[in-house]
Amino acid sequence: MAMEVTQVLLNAQSVDSTVRKHAEESLRQFQEQNLSVFLLSLSGELAGEDKPVDSRKLAGLILKNALDAKEQHRKYELVQRWLALDMGVKTQIKACLLQTLSSPVHDAHSTASQVIAKVAAIELPQKQWPELIGSLLSNIHQVPAHVKQATLETLGYLCEEVSPDVVDQDQVNKILTAVVQGMNANEVNNDVRLAATRALYNALGFSHANFSNDMERDYIMRVVCEATLCPDVKIRQAAFECLVSIASTYYEKLAPYIQEIFNITAKAVREDEEPVALQAIELWSSICDEEIDILEEYGGDFTADSDVPCYYFIKQALPALVPMLLETLLKQEEDQDLDEGAWNLAMAGGTCLGLVARTVGDDIVPLVMPFIEENITKPDWRQREAATYAFGSILEGPSPDKLTSIVNVALNFMLTALTNDPNSHVKDTTAWTLGRIFEFLHGSTVETPIITPANCQQIVTVLLQSMNDAPNVAEKACGALYFLVQGYEDIGSTSPITPFFQEIVKSLLHVTDREDAGESRLRTAAYETLNEVVRCSTDETASMVLQLVPIIMTKLHQTLEAEKLSSDGREKQNELQGLLCGCLQVITQKLGASEPAKYAFMQFADQIMNLFLRVFACRSATVHEEAMLAIGAVAHATGPDFAKYMPELYKYLEMGLQNFEEYQVCAVTVGVVGDICRALDDKVLPYCDGIMTQLLKDLSSNQLHRSVKPPIFSCFGDIALAIGENFEKYLMYAMPMLQSAAELSAHTSGADDEMIEYTNLLRNGILEAYSGIFQGFKNSPKTQLLIPYAPHILQFLDSIYMEKDMDDVVMKTAIGVLGDLADTLGSNAGSLIQQSLSCKDFLNECLSSDDHLIKESAEWAKMAITRAISV
Amino acid sequence: MADEITPRRDPIKSSVGNVAAQRRRQHAITVAKERREAVVRTKRLCRVGVGGGGDDQLTYDDDGDGGDMMIDAEQSILEAQTCSAVQDLQLAMLFQGKGAMQKRVAALREVRRLLSRSEFPPIEAAIKAGAIPLLVQCLSFGSPEEQLLEAAWCMTNIAAGKPEETKELLPALPLLIAHLGEKSSLPVAEQCSWAVGNVAGEGEELRNILLSQGALPSLARMMLRNKGSTVRTAAWALSNLIKGPDPKAATELIRVDGVLEAILQHLKKADEELATEVAWVVVYLSALSHVATSMLVKSDLLQILVERLGMSNSLQLLIPVLRSIGNLVAGDAHVASTVLVIGQSITDSILPALIKCLESEHRVMKKVCLLLLQHEFGLVLTRNASMQEAAWVLSNIAAGSVEHKKLVYSSEAVPLLLRLLVTAPFDIRKEVAYVVGNLCVAPSEGSGRPKLIADHLVFLVSKGCLPGFIDLVRSADIEAAKLGLQFIELVLRGMPNGSGPKLVEKADGIDAMERFQFHENEELRCMATKLVDKYFGVDYGVDDE
Repeated sequence: MAMEVTQVLLNAQSVDSTVRKHAEESLRQFQEQNLSVFLLSLSGELAGEDKPVDSRKLAGLILKNALDAKEQHRKYELVQRWLALDMGVKTQIKACLLQTLSSPVHDAHSTASQVIAKVAAIELPQKQWPELIGSLLSNIHQVPAHVKQATLETLGYLCEEVSPDVVDQDQVNKILTAVVQGMNANEVNNDVRLAATRALYNALGFSHANFSNDMERDYIMRVVCEATLCPDVKIRQAAFECLVSIASTYYEKLAPYIQEIFNITAKAVREDEEPVALQAIELWSSICDEEIDILEEYGGDFTADSDVPCYYFIKQALPALVPMLLETLLKQEEDQDLDEGAWNLAMAGGTCLGLVARTVGDDIVPLVMPFIEENITKPDWRQREAATYAFGSILEGPSPDKLTSIVNVALNFMLTALTNDPNSHVKDTTAWTLGRIFEFLHGSTVETPIITPANCQQIVTVLLQSMNDAPNVAEKACGALYFLVQGYEDIGSTSPITPFFQEIVKSLLHVTDREDAGESRLRTAAYETLNEVVRCSTDETASMVLQLVPIIMTKLHQTLEAEKLSSDGREKQNELQGLLCGCLQVITQKLGASEPAKYAFMQFADQIMNLFLRVFACRSATVHEEAMLAIGAVAHATGPDFAKYMPELYKYLEMGLQNFEEYQVCAVTVGVVGDICRALDDKVLPYCDGIMTQLLKDLSSNQLHRSVKPPIFSCFGDIALAIGENFEKYLMYAMPMLQSAAELSAHTSGADDEMIEYTNLLRNGILEAYSGIFQGFKNSPKTQLLIPYAPHILQFLDSIYMEKDMDDVVMKTAIGVLGDLADTLGSNAGSLIQQSLSCKDFLNECLSSDDHLIKESAEWAKMAITRAISV
Repeated sequence: MADEITPRRDPIKSSVGNVAAQRRRQHAITVAKERREAVVRTKRLCRVGVGGGGDDQLTYDDDGDGGDMMIDAEQSILEAQTCSAVQDLQLAMLFQGKGAMQKRVAALREVRRLLSRSEFPPIEAAIKAGAIPLLVQCLSFGSPEEQLLEAAWCMTNIAAGKPEETKELLPALPLLIAHLGEKSSLPVAEQCSWAVGNVAGEGEELRNILLSQGALPSLARMMLRNKGSTVRTAAWALSNLIKGPDPKAATELIRVDGVLEAILQHLKKADEELATEVAWVVVYLSALSHVATSMLVKSDLLQILVERLGMSNSLQLLIPVLRSIGNLVAGDAHVASTVLVIGQSITDSILPALIKCLESEHRVMKKVCLLLLQHEFGLVLTRNASMQEAAWVLSNIAAGSVEHKKLVYSSEAVPLLLRLLVTAPFDIRKEVAYVVGNLCVAPSEGSGRPKLIADHLVFLVSKGCLPGFIDLVRSADIEAAKLGLQFIELVLRGMPNGSGPKLVEKADGIDAMERFQFHENEELRCMATKLVDKYFGVDYGVDDE
């Protein structure tokens, strides 16, 4: 029944585009006409030892793509399609795949192993193909090394694709045994050993039971550590990758091995080739990650229960670890600052040092200071740069008490170095270190100020000067200025920056116009810094901020006038438009926040909106995220008068809401709809049919990224608040959606942290929708319409209360909904509330919360309930 | 597989552009979230107090909380907390270093939180601890918006306290009023108007102080804004401010440019809460100021009010609307004679609207509605005891033409009224009786007894209304008793073929009247004695035997 597809597959890879397109078309038709035969033919092709390697490879690839897709919706379709295929056909295909594993042709068996894992990912959860793992394991004892290698690769892919809970522990044990045996030093074939080591990396997620067993764990650890000493560099690297993964997955099991791990990594960092040394550093970074998380959970309260105790590995290793990391800092590459993707020993070492500082705090300072003091004045730029880098790396973590006196001394030195050091690499790191100083040791929360009226002017002058330096140095100087002004964000009505405001703005605008501003992301840094300068400015400089409006508008206008552009040019223009829209967003927000400034700003509103609409129009396919955000700010500043822009804006809102692919655009648009609702109030009504239709479509789509769904629910609330009882006509659509989402999010049992976090976001969105709807209907004669939904809502509140895993935000919103329900439904809700299982406990718990926002909502809810019950 | 995994973390030395853009977006989201919460919070707070009794004590200060969860011990803890929160505020005010503003706002927020707690907010404790001068300081010009908001909020809650507590706010009033102006942001102006409203609600003395300090024009201008919650709060504050009894403020208000237009415009809006507050302003304007009343009746206000009466089901809204209509009708002869003309659409639509209100389960609404019916359609039986409101002084009875009465008589109101006369609580029954009684009489010419409308009387008596009136005669309420006696007189005199006395006797009317023989009220004693003598004298019953 299979068909000959060799020639078509070869043609599909032809250099001649006509031939290629014709072949692709035939393949597509074949697939559409008879999927079973098509897949069967491909598997036959893949298995055929007499076939050319190119056609076999492509056959395997098409098979793989017929089983899985990145996009969730498509993936689901493909899974269903495979499950619906004739059992006999599937058996034949799977037989071909398993047979291909024995092929001596590397490309063939390697492709087959990936396809097998994809089939397994579909079938094992359905309890189909039970014999797969058994038959793979029987291959392990085959003599030809390539069969063993292919089998181990397959097991590795399988562990990557399949969820651990669909494989029996018994089979897991057998897989691990086979894998660890393959990694063993006794294994003479390096390809087999490498395949086994990489397979173990994926199998680690399956090994919880085995890691709880001392003997098995000891054995696995011994084999992995041995493999880090293997003569083959790829195996050493793969083995270190296993160790990194073990360090984060099984942190609490590391204690017996930590000494050996240190020895191995220290040796690798000092002596091994870079890819291996980088993994060795990564291992310590991963341990830092774990300990930072654990200590954060302790929250300074060491009696608190944490699932995992902190073993303070970093603290213990500190005396040896820090010198090892400091050594790496001297291994810089010449031009690493110019290459955005650069990653080398020095960069990894500094990053790890930063994590160590965050883990241990003050303890790191005495270990690093001698290195800095010794090297910072050396003639070799590497030493000066390494010393500066070390200093910059440890500024987050240690207490200000520990750092302030040092920083006070260092500050002057740094400012001089930034001006005078002959090496641009050193200047780059110096500017970055200044930025770190301002980020962590300057601001309203810091007790002893680093920046005083005496040195403020000097700092600003030096930073502005450096903005004329090489692009990478100028970029870092912008960064330092960014954190400098950020430290003054809550300063009140008078800012020390005010005297320099005009000069700063002028310099930053000048930077954005530099010919070479495209290098080292300099232009982006300059605009973002300008934004921060505006955001943190005070009313004293409002008039100067206002003067910026026409300047930025002109720049945006110029991008719209540009003549035909190359694709590269278009991309750059697009990026620039984003930056300018972002800048206008920040300015609008700033000026809109004070009444007199807002009044003055309003003269530009029409022109600004006009520009944004043109930005949308010149990007036919999609809506610009930044422009959308800026429009939200304009809506807030304009209030009800924003209605005049709606007729033209509406279609772009709709486009944004339809943008499933760039889900951030969709999310931003949802947020802007909320802004517009608040601005227009009931004047948004004429647009609500369209908006609600689109939002409901978004919610029913399984194509849309899940992160957009909670804001969509909140947006229901915004709409209901704006249009009040006119929301009536949407109730019959919105309520069932909310109800089913509520059911889904009521229970989280078995979910991981990330899922619980998402669930809480979802709950919050749902609850905000309910609040908005209740408050919207309040005092209207139509409140009756909401009564039928009340029991379910109360039940939802009950169940999330019982679940005991809501975060503070959800708690506050939830207790608010209880109050809103009582407030709006009044006596109609009284008895329902009294019947509710846990609402009284929930209320009392909220009333005694430490979080004043929760308390406030709870007190209000209590009042509303009392009234509802007493009527 | 392994080829792709090599994890690359972000270098510690990264470009500021990456973080900054992310933060900026996050900031935009946070801002939107805060604004959403602000909207919800305003909506929630606006409800406070309005829902309660539904009568004219429109105060935001009474949170109506009969909660039982608060016990004395908690109260003393609360007071201690308040005391230390005020001290913290004092320290925060002195602090001049980094983050001073945040410290101040945080301290203020804590005070405000405590003052917003429970049904017995620790106002006294806060005042004793010296909160007022600190709060006044926080209101100084140029302060950040958040600080102004929190301070004004604190004052709002203090103003909601006991009269002597409210008076403590005297030094703050000029600043609160100053922040009502156009230069302030809307939320600040709104919060300040709330505080001013609470102060004005305290009594005449404070009202006069506020007026002399110029609160009225600023609040009036807030009525011209187009933000619902701002107008609502301003309207509420204004209705407290013009409460009188001096009509000057009401007259001043209606003369502010644009206010009349704004009132009409807001009353047309879908927002019922807004319309409710504005309607209360109209209630006071029309009750107090002749100037205002004559300006109001010349606009299409009455039309708008009647439309709202027909459309809305919101009790909160209907009550002030009914009262406004009543005031306008009572206050200006022009209305009854030229606007409520039989055959005009407004006259036709007002009756069904009133009937709808009569059917409501709400006692106050029924009562207001009955008062209105009595007034609009003519009250003839004299009624001299003072009614609840000055607005209802019924000196002018011209409205009650026979045509008006016929209109009521032929409407669906009659069965409803008859039912209420039997089943409703006493105060309602009394008002129903006035209406029913009035349906049977026409205005008298000169000073003589009212003329009877015989067919109305016969019909209503045949439907069994007499026992209801006799019941009133037995009541301790002199006014009601008098009304009952008056109706008995009508029956005795007006029922055809002299059937009146029998009907009265059957309904135990003689017994009811004889009780007045030794009544302390001379007028009633005379009325009853005369009636008994005239209709049930020695000759009575002779014919039958």
